[in-house]
Order: sequence, then structure tokens, then C-alpha cells
Amino acid sequence: MTVRDLPGVRSLLREIRPDFSWWRSADLRRESVAGFTGALLVIPQAITFAYLAGVAPEYGLYCAVFVALLSSLFGNSPMVGGPNTAVSILLGLTVLPFAGRGSPLFTELVLALSLMVGLIQILIWLLRGAELFRYFSPAAITGIKAGVGVLLITAALEGGLGLSPMTPNFFYEKFYIALVSWQDLVNPYAATVSGVTIAAGLLLKKRWPRSYILGAVLIGTLVGGGIYGLLGPVQSQLELLGHVTLRGLPINLPRLGPQHWLFMEQVVPQAIAIAVLGLAQSLVIARDLKARAVTDLDLHKEVFAQGISNALSPFFSAFAGSGSFNRTSVALEMGARTPASGIVAAFAVVLIAWALGPFLIWLPMPVIAGVMALVGIGMIQGKEISPLLNRVDGPAFLITLLTVMFLSLETGILVAVAVSIGFFVASASRVKLAVSRDGDNEHIVVSGNLFYASLDRLSKQLRSDPTTRTILDIGRVPYCDASALALFESIRRERQLCGGRLDVIAA
Amino acid sequence: MTPGVEAIRDDGRFGGESGLLQRDLSGAGTGGRTAGHRALRRRTRLLLILFAVSALLGWSLSALARSTIEELKARAVLDDYEANIVFGYNIVMQTNKYAGRYAGSALSCTSCHLQGGTQPDGFPLNVAGVYPKWRAKNGVRNGIGMRIRDCFLYSLNGIMPPEEAPEVLAVAAYVSYLSEGEVVGRPPKGWGVPTLPDTGADPNPPRGQAIYQRECVICHGAKGEGQGPIPPVWGVNSYSAGAGLNNVQKLAGFVWANMPIGNGRSLTHQEALDVAAFINLQYRAFDPREGRLKKLAERIYQRLALIFGKANP
Repeated sequence: MTVRDLPGVRSLLREIRPDFSWWRSADLRRESVAGFTGALLVIPQAITFAYLAGVAPEYGLYCAVFVALLSSLFGNSPMVGGPNTAVSILLGLTVLPFAGRGSPLFTELVLALSLMVGLIQILIWLLRGAELFRYFSPAAITGIKAGVGVLLITAALEGGLGLSPMTPNFFYEKFYIALVSWQDLVNPYAATVSGVTIAAGLLLKKRWPRSYILGAVLIGTLVGGGIYGLLGPVQSQLELLGHVTLRGLPINLPRLGPQHWLFMEQVVPQAIAIAVLGLAQSLVIARDLKARAVTDLDLHKEVFAQGISNALSPFFSAFAGSGSFNRTSVALEMGARTPASGIVAAFAVVLIAWALGPFLIWLPMPVIAGVMALVGIGMIQGKEISPLLNRVDGPAFLITLLTVMFLSLETGILVAVAVSIGFFVASASRVKLAVSRDGDNEHIVVSGNLFYASLDRLSKQLRSDPTTRTILDIGRVPYCDASALALFESIRRERQLCGGRLDVIAA
Repeated sequence: MTPGVEAIRDDGRFGGESGLLQRDLSGAGTGGRTAGHRALRRRTRLLLILFAVSALLGWSLSALARSTIEELKARAVLDDYEANIVFGYNIVMQTNKYAGRYAGSALSCTSCHLQGGTQPDGFPLNVAGVYPKWRAKNGVRNGIGMRIRDCFLYSLNGIMPPEEAPEVLAVAAYVSYLSEGEVVGRPPKGWGVPTLPDTGADPNPPRGQAIYQRECVICHGAKGEGQGPIPPVWGVNSYSAGAGLNNVQKLAGFVWANMPIGNGRSLTHQEALDVAAFINLQYRAFDPREGRLKKLAERIYQRLALIFGKANP
């Protein structure tokens, strides 16, 4: 018997091996259409998210190509991977204290961090971490999403109004500064262009709820290009994206010198936070997919796909990504059911970016800021938030949201985990007692888990009068631990002394 | 007087010690010999200290000396400033490769800032000490960052990078590195290009064309297109009409001092002026101060006006 034949190892190998069995059942025409649409959608997002991560736009496009391709190859679902808002923000923020934003060292560190994130995710896969994410409360996830939305809108402010970069303590200070001294700081042309982009996006959203960003980019670029062309760069002071030079195969050996090791040593907590956040988003999507379209989804396989694609991403000059909510739902609506759409999307990105290359130069940065704001607005969704306004989910949502807004995204993730666990424990330890009298006998029906944390009420009820005769029905108790049994025993003994009785039945 | 005492007198500038010695001398009537010994020991100690100080000074001076770019590149660990210098140097030498996002033409910085900005009279870049200063070009005070961004826009005919662009900061770091040892507030030696004296004759473009055919065409090509690292001197891949070099006087000074490359100052002032006038009469990209769409519309309108025979469009 070799190592390969061990049952655990065999299932691990099955998760590692790319599985192409979907090939026969795939409807290639629909998958291609879905992939192509996804590629169109991802290009403005890739550029925006590269800006958030603080690297050149090429890296975002490489991420949209290679992370998407690898996660589709290794995964087994129509989930679309690629650049992700929260992950990009965190990558940029983590590296910021160690190198000048956008410098070559900064880019190297972002790639080193991506490698680290990928390896941590593979570790989580080995430790069967997918199980853990099952307990991630949807309220906390929605809280993180809304918080990231606020962060995005805040981040869009500088580019959108043509301000110099600011690093305020709290997000609202930026709005205050922009509002108070708008006459000195705000570039009216930049504000016009970003305003037009956002307005166009919000108007088009009703008509095309999925692809409205493309229309907004187009309109914003036309307006911005017009202003730039008529007034010239000196008068309009509009920033443009500049040349985006894509290489066919951007093979890159991540540099790991002493500096990089020192950096990696210091950012382990942040890397774990990014890894968890990326996986959490991917797995929420996967959970969604499992409920809606793809029933035979293997969560562990998706975790591995995410990890391996992030770990390999720096070798293709891409930064880490994760699954994308909006692109996956577009793909599903367009009829994608297999990873084929993701693979088509990866190649389509290359094609479209290559064809659009000369036009991308003239993309005004206020349009990018507008896209950022639109994505941010899209992440704060009333229809996701309103069902959460109850006693259990409301606090979880609010706590995560406020933490992300006022402290930081990493803290928000930790708080989300803590809140999820806390509320799960609270709900698990809730026990319902139905007390009824039947002549001399007291009848108590218990429903809920009976364990050390949930015994309080029951013991209070049973200890109130030791002379009663009680029939305790634990037929609806899924789990009963030793301390509960000990409680029953001690009460029975107590009642025998006082003339009462306790019968435990399971009806 | 013993020689020892004399030596001590020589070192009388060490005020505290001399007072101590005087007490020693006055106190010891027979102790001249011991005092001399002590003084000798003091002298050797003094010499040792002097030697150590000078050695330390020499060592620290050599450590302070500017390391070359090659030395920086060979190092395993660079701090942020050094890494930025290397990045800036790379941008200056190969602008299209390292700052391709904002570059526009086929030029690199070093096309005009010769030898990576180290050549006097060839727009040297050791100018950190003269900024910020007011410039007529944009009518505002320019920091070194603004100056660099202007170069991207006008001379490179590219896109103006944002003020916090890493490329701009890197070139600024390289400029600071080159400016080490210059006096702050005073222009460095060989700043910019020399201003040619009045030749008494107007620049003559046809003669300039002949000189171009004779001297420049081998490298810069018959259509001014350049080749490889040799920069194009006109056309859309060269500097724009808003660049500083589009000024005939300035280009003449540059040409006279540096061209043909390796054989500078071989042309006469008048020849340099003629060839500069010829080159700057050729077509090149619009001045970016004017909107290109507007300019294009003007051109089209002028053509149409010519075709339809409107007088004086």
C-alpha cells in the first residue's frame, strides 16, 4: 500500500487534479457568450482594482486573465475569479508602510504578499478550512461588503475631484475637507467627468442592472475626452490612465531577497486576514451557486483552486484575487454552468485589452474614480440589508460595518469572524421550554441543545420546587452533553429526598 | 627648558590641560625629568587621537561619497531612497520601458539630458538646488516634481503624470542624487545649454538643411526619424511644439555644445543656429497647451477654407 492509496490522500489528490468532466455537458455557445460578457465587465474593474492595490493597471489585467484562468481550471464551478475589491484594498494597505506606493519595490512586495496569501489558502485547504466558512454569518459578510462599499466611495473622492492624496484618520474627514475648501482643491473638470460617470451609471442601472458600468465608462470617457481634447491637458488638468502595455506571457519570477523575507515575516497577520477574506467571499459565492445552479459543488476543491491560483499569480505578474460576486451572477444569468465560461473570459480579456489598448490611454482617471464609486454604491444594497434588520442579524451587521468604516478592513474581518461565532453560539445555546400541568404532573418539553452553556434556565425551572413530579421530554433535543445528564441525576436525587420525582423521556 | 615642556607649550591651546601642566611644573622642582616623560606620553596619546580622528574622518568621508549607480544596482538591499534612485536612473535611460505609462514619443530623458543627465552644457540634471522657482512657461512656481511632469507632457509629448506618480518621485530622487555636492540655490556649472552670442545674421533654414545633410543625416536619418537609441529630431515621435527645445536659440546652443555627438563645438555658432532653425521648422506634435481636438478642428477648417477659396481663413 502506497501513500496514494490512503483514503485521505486520495480525496486530496482528487481535489488537486483539474477535472474536465464538465467538458461533455457544457453548452459551449452559451458559455462563450457568458465568458465574453464577463471579460468586457472585468476590464474597467481590473484597472480600478489595480489602482486600489497601488500597482500599474497591467497587473490588474493580468489578474483578470491568470487568476481567472487558473481558478477555473482547478475549480469545478462557473464561479468567476479575478481581481476583487476588498482583497485589492487590503493588498495595497498592507504594503503601504513598507515601500513607496507604485514603486518597483512596492510591486514586488504586493506580488510576494500574493504568493503568501495563496500559500496560506492552500494551508487552509489542507486543514479542511472550508468547513469553518460555513459558520460565517451572512449578516457579517453583508456588513463587510457594505463597509468596503463605503471605503470605495471614500477612495473615489480624490480621483473624482482631482484632489491630492489624503490620509485622514477617519473616512468622513475627506468629505469634510473636500466640502469646506472645494474652491481651492476641487478640479471642476475632474468633478464634472466623475459626476457624469456616476450619474450615467445610476441612470443606466435601471435599464441594464448588470452591465451599466460599461455604459458609464463609455459616457464618462466621451465627456472626459472631449474636455481634454478641447481644453488641453494644461488647462483641464485631467489625469489620464496612460499607456497600458500588455505582454503576451508575463512570466515573472517573484523576487525574494532579504527585504522581501523581512516584509513577509511582518505581515503574517494581514496575509491571513486577506486569505480568509478572499476565501470567505469565494465560498459565499459557492454556497450561493450550490443553492441555485450547481448541485455537485465541492467546496474543498474551490478552496484549493483559489489557493493555487493566488499562489501561482505572482509568477504571471498578477496580484491575488478571489471570486467575484457580480461577475459570477452575470455569468449565471447568461447561462454559464461550467468553468468553461471562466476560461473563455480569461482569453477574451487578453483579446479585448489588446484591441482596446490604444483607447485605454485616453481613459480619464476621474472615470476610474466614478467606476470605483459605482462599484461601492452597488455593494451597499438595500435588498440585502433590509432583511437583516432584526434582533439577531442587525447588531452583527452593524458591528461589522462600523468596524470596517471606522477601524480597518482587517479588524472588520476579525470582528466578523468573532461576531459570527458569537451569534452562532448564542443561537445554539438557546433552549425553549414548554411547561404544562397535567393534574399533579408537570410536563416540560425541551427543544434545543442541552449542554453546559444552555442549562441555566432548565435548572432554574427544575429547582424551583423539589416536591413536584416532572416529566421531562427531551425528544426534541439533538444533543445532550454529560453536564446535562449530571444535572438530571442530581435533581432526581434531590427530589427523591423531598418527595418529588423526575422522569426523563424521549417522546 | 626641556623639549618636553616646549612641546607642551605648543599644545597650549588645550586650555584645561595646560593649566594642569603648569601646576605640575611649578610643584616639582626636581621633577623636570618626570614631567618631560609625562609630556612625551601625552604627545604620543595626542598623536594617536589625531590619527584615529583622521582615520575616522577619512573612513566616513569615503562612506559619504556618492556610490555609483552600478554600485547601487549590485547591492542586495537598497533603502527606499536608493531604490528610487535606481528606478529614476532606469527611467531617465529608457523612458519608454520604465515609464511607458506616461511616455509619448520615442525619446528618453537621456536623449536631451545627455549621459543620463551628467553632461554639463547638455541639460545636466544636477539641478535639485534651483527648484522651486517661477517659470514663464506655466506662470507658476515649479517644484522639481512639477518640472519633471512638464517634461513628460511637453518634451516627451506624453501624458502628464499625477504629482504622486512613482515615476515622477523616482526621477526626482535621481535628480537629488545627481545634485549631491552642488550649492543649494545656485545653478550648477554648465546648467542647461550655453546661450550663443549674437552672430549678426539671421538663422537660415535652407543652409541649415545643407548642414543637416552633411553632419546629422548619418545618425538622425533623412526624415529626422532617428534609429535605435538615436532620437528622432522631428515628426510625431520627437518632442512636441511645446517643448523647450522647440526654441531655436536653445536648440542652437544644445547643437553647438554637443553635436555631432562626441564632437561637440565643431560647428560654428551660425551653423548651429541654421541647423536649429531647419529642424524646428519641420512638423511635430502640437503644443499640448492647446486642446488637440480644437487644434485638429482648426486645421480641418483651414483646409476647407483653402479649398472653398475663402480669403485669409
